[in-house]
Amino acid sequence: MNHLLPFTSLAVEQRELGLVVAVLIGFGFGFVLERAGFGRAQKLIGQFLLSEMTVLKVMFGAVATAMVGSVAMGGLGLFDLRAVADSASSATWLWPMVVGGFVVGMGFVISSYCPGTSVVAMASGKIDGLFTVLGVILGSLVAGELLSIPAVAAFNDSSFLGHLYLYDLLGVPAAVVAIAVALVAVAAFVGAEKLEAIFGGEGRPDSPARPRRAVFATLVGLGALGLVTLAFPRPTPAATAGPVTITAEALARRLFDEPWSVRVLDLRAKEACFARRVPGSECTPPEALKALSLADLTGARDLVVVGEGDLAALPGEITAYPGKVLALRQGFAGWTAWALTPPAPLPASATAAEREAWKVRAGVSAAMTGVKQAPPPAAPAGGAAPAKRKAGGGGCSG
Amino acid sequence: MTTTRDPNKFWNPYLAGVALGLVLLAAFAIEGKGLGASGAWFRAGVAGVQAVAPGHVQATPAFRAATEGGSPLDDYMVFLMVGVVLGGFVAAYTSGRLGLEVLKGPNISTAGRLAMALGGGALMGLGAKFARGCASGQALTGGALMSAGAWAFMGVFFGGGYALAYFVRRAWR
Repeated sequence: MNHLLPFTSLAVEQRELGLVVAVLIGFGFGFVLERAGFGRAQKLIGQFLLSEMTVLKVMFGAVATAMVGSVAMGGLGLFDLRAVADSASSATWLWPMVVGGFVVGMGFVISSYCPGTSVVAMASGKIDGLFTVLGVILGSLVAGELLSIPAVAAFNDSSFLGHLYLYDLLGVPAAVVAIAVALVAVAAFVGAEKLEAIFGGEGRPDSPARPRRAVFATLVGLGALGLVTLAFPRPTPAATAGPVTITAEALARRLFDEPWSVRVLDLRAKEACFARRVPGSECTPPEALKALSLADLTGARDLVVVGEGDLAALPGEITAYPGKVLALRQGFAGWTAWALTPPAPLPASATAAEREAWKVRAGVSAAMTGVKQAPPPAAPAGGAAPAKRKAGGGGCSG
Repeated sequence: MTTTRDPNKFWNPYLAGVALGLVLLAAFAIEGKGLGASGAWFRAGVAGVQAVAPGHVQATPAFRAATEGGSPLDDYMVFLMVGVVLGGFVAAYTSGRLGLEVLKGPNISTAGRLAMALGGGALMGLGAKFARGCASGQALTGGALMSAGAWAFMGVFFGGGYALAYFVRRAWR
């Protein structure tokens, strides 16, 4: 199923434009954080001293808004919620994330900033913000060094649960989780107002009631819209069973025409892969995947995985890859049948498209096996000249 | 400076939350990505290391991973961060909050405050590497996408904060 959003071309063909848009989104992010008061250490630390609840209000409000918004957009068919979530959020490594989250929380209270808000503070001239940014750089470099220690790296890779979502854990539709979170958020806001009344004292910030009610009503309303979209007809879940596949022909064309856009990982046993594999592919049996740190890459290239045959499910390290992941249809067996078997000769009545496909396949097969095919029968007189293609051999022959 | 700028006037937190949520939703819908901060600064750090000791970057797996796509700075998160700096600067300038200063409580020296900022930042950089993100990458982005790990992160993040808050309160009061 094709979705309008997100614009996947922004990650590959139009990467420069995607990066320009990233600057614009970042601008909005920084602008809103500053206007919310998050460039001020006092406003942030107030959350932990209980004097003001701005952090909770803004963060929970943002999470609830984006959650009901994305559920509603998913329900309307604008994008595939799970696919967007897989590409935009990290997979779950439970214990490293629990320990890391605790350390980040402590760092937040000590510096009074989080990594994002310290940047806004720095940009507004706050020298303590600049020092926090420098600290973040230092700390992450130290973490990078520590990860060279095998025991630390093993902990960092432990308790991997893949992409795990609350709606999977609870076994309910995403819209139900979203409206529940929206309701909890509204309840938390009411509680936050009470806490501020108790602990805030004189200087507590006022949040006028009218916009507050409007936000509460909108959150509940959007959540309800998400629930309504559940009733919309949608394709059967069969469409999502198993990984997205790519045919041997499509893969060969990409390897020849734009080899920089794909990375091919062969998941078969090392011996089989060393003997024969798709040109340009890496021999990465499942146990070798961890070392590739796929989850930490940018995802600019599409990942193509090759198994013996069709892959029923992908290893967690592969699904953690931030970019697009494709499985070679019928695996290496499919590649053998298409690329290593000479194509049957074409009848003279073949169309230009058939000729074109035949030439690609014959070229690949010749490059792979060293056996030249007879040239295709001559194109019918007056027909369009056969499309020029790079010779099958290319630079990728194995 | 015009009189309309009031440095103590902030957006209503609920409206700011909705606005932030819409920025996040735009990142999902347009780019298929989220918001984040710690990743970009790690990459900036790796770029710094690469400038002085390129061999060391190649010898350190975690650093090398950041150079996979060429320069460590050639990344969505880094460009996002350029935008955050610009957006924060423009918002601070137009609200009258732009100015060189150290934000601190009355009972702490400037050096003490800067040391806490540096040390707290270092803890966040360290923790965020293991947590695969910080408050923006995990709590905001993952939280909104209902990632189970992100909600676990959020719980311990606030847990870690409140556990230590008692000890740092003197710095602000």
